[in-house]
Amino acid sequence: MSRIKTMTVAAIAAATLAVGASGCASSPATSSGSSANPVSGPVTFWVMGDSATKFQDLVKPFTDETGIKVNAVAIPWDSIDQKFTTAVASGNGPDLLQIGISKLRNFADSGSLAPLQDKVGDYGSLAAENFIDGMAGDDTKVNGDTLSVPWVSDTRVLFYRSDILNANGITNPPATWDDLRSDAKKLTARGEGQFGYYVPQWDSALPVAMTWGQGGSVVNNDGKIDFNTPEFQKAVDLYTGLYGDKSVPTDSNFDQTQGFVSGATPMVVSGPYLAKAINDAAPELKGKWSATTLPAGETNTSLLAGSHIGMMANSAHQDSALKLLDYLSKPATQLEWFKINSELPAVKAALSDSSLSADPLNAVYAKQLENAKVLPLVPNWDGGVGKDMLKALNSIALTGSDRNSALEQLYKSTSDVSTK
Amino acid sequence: MRARLVPYLFLSPAMLMLTAFGILPLFVAAFVSFTNMNLAGLGNWSRIRFIGTTNYTELFSDEEFWQSLGNTAFFALIGVPGVIVLSLAVALMLNRGSGRFHRALRAFYFVPAITAIVAIALVWGYLYNTQFGLLNYLLSLIDVPPVQWLSDPLMAKFSVILVAVWRGTGLNIIIFLAALQAVPKEYLEAAEIDGANEWQRTIRVTVPLLKFAVLFVTITTIIAWLQFFDEPFVLTHGGPLGATTSVSLFLYNQGFAASQFGYASAGSVVLFLIIAVITALQLRSRRTNVDY
Repeated sequence: MSRIKTMTVAAIAAATLAVGASGCASSPATSSGSSANPVSGPVTFWVMGDSATKFQDLVKPFTDETGIKVNAVAIPWDSIDQKFTTAVASGNGPDLLQIGISKLRNFADSGSLAPLQDKVGDYGSLAAENFIDGMAGDDTKVNGDTLSVPWVSDTRVLFYRSDILNANGITNPPATWDDLRSDAKKLTARGEGQFGYYVPQWDSALPVAMTWGQGGSVVNNDGKIDFNTPEFQKAVDLYTGLYGDKSVPTDSNFDQTQGFVSGATPMVVSGPYLAKAINDAAPELKGKWSATTLPAGETNTSLLAGSHIGMMANSAHQDSALKLLDYLSKPATQLEWFKINSELPAVKAALSDSSLSADPLNAVYAKQLENAKVLPLVPNWDGGVGKDMLKALNSIALTGSDRNSALEQLYKSTSDVSTK
Repeated sequence: MRARLVPYLFLSPAMLMLTAFGILPLFVAAFVSFTNMNLAGLGNWSRIRFIGTTNYTELFSDEEFWQSLGNTAFFALIGVPGVIVLSLAVALMLNRGSGRFHRALRAFYFVPAITAIVAIALVWGYLYNTQFGLLNYLLSLIDVPPVQWLSDPLMAKFSVILVAVWRGTGLNIIIFLAALQAVPKEYLEAAEIDGANEWQRTIRVTVPLLKFAVLFVTITTIIAWLQFFDEPFVLTHGGPLGATTSVSLFLYNQGFAASQFGYASAGSVVLFLIIAVITALQLRSRRTNVDY
């Protein structure tokens, strides 16, 4: 209710005009001359989350070798939009920044990222074929430009409590969504407050992965969003069916980790961060849970998420920044980053390295990453298409809205959205 | 001549601030609302196009905007009377004593107003949690099934209102307390001699004399509730299914999550006009009344 928030939208516009003007005036002075210098710097890197110190450790050998200083700045995940907006408006951004794949299109549309397709050829580690399939090159080009290179990967797999499944006569984790539904029913029958599975109501990737699993797509041949397909209908059946079976909790603030640890929801599709959360919250559960690749319909395509790194077009230290990108994409660096920050590599050679795949969980992630796709690169997936889709599905599942009219509404609101 | 300029000299810092951070942004927002300003336009102004009233026509056919307007009206209709009645009642009771206990109570009631919203969100988030929350635990002791405080669309509205009322009373209690100190003792004594009991003295003497404070609190509270933002933002993110998305939160989402600055500015202009009209009506209604 604070007054400050009130006119934020207006104030930002004013700030834009003021700061933007001064930014334009001062930028030529800062950029002149320095880009020719091979060791220009420091290169400012915006790293997401709280891993700036770790990142600084990661690049120390790079600085020692090249003399290029790196300045890592931690940006909290939930303020990246504002920070980037300010950077675009003021022209005073970082040289490199980490970009979540779901934000890639938005950031690219701002026109402030430097096209890299003519430059990556000079750096061996940046070739598209080095990275996980579907993550680099043509698959993440926006308007024909390569505006970023992959940095870390992430995917979704099925986590399950082997002890609870076994105790209820389920010897193997479900391999298909049909099995998952019947297993979930069985587990829900354990009693009051017990469920079989958990659907995070904010997770827009799950219904899309369900559609992919049915062999479908949410993008049609013209590159436009299209939910009006038989495969999506099957995904809706599955999503709302889990609620219809009463196999999933209906609270929006149900805690995924606690639900898994307490056993209330012994199966859930989530990312590697859940494994870390479980280990932190309940180390004593070790050996009683595991993970496997996503249940299948016709296939078991999962979400390919993670982050890219983009370079700001007005960076004054582009050569140094590209050298740093090259260093960050080397398998050794990627493995080191996994070791110190538990983020999965985006480089194939690092992902298949024996030091990583020796851990069975990592082997599952690596296997799933072989069959994973990025969400459609449309503007504002999280706040637009993804939100509309979740709203339609959740209103059918939770408040009993009419299925046909909710889906018609979804088709209507998303039919103009294009990946091009 | 110089004497006439002096007042303006004292006013100028406040005027400058108001102009720079209040009036100028308003005009900029009005201007931007007729453009397609987005992140791309922000990076390079040559990409900004004038699109006339398109933002406004889209806004008025946007179901989410109407839902957020409806939500805001719902919040204000329950929250504003709630805050005013509650804070007036608490202030009247606190005013009955001035001992150490009452002074401690005053501080106690003011604490919610100065607690950081993030801490409030965290604590209330735990209280409201359906599985592990204290509220549902207490209910379970008397065999009431768990309530979906933040998951049920209607319940979530009341849950965020409760937090906002709890948080909003502190400051208004202080304002009412200050006004209560200014109520002349003579009037109350005269009423007592005339045989008025305590209830009559409060309702017939004290409350009418608080008229200006009540008006002030009403106007600021209504404005605050029309701009309702913090509680749904931190507690529910506007969910479930948009049930707690206020207009301000809708504008924030359009402006900062979707980077549709032109569209969001159009919405903020509409919100501004609504607030301006409501406030003007209130000030007008006061003018026709008698002053004591």
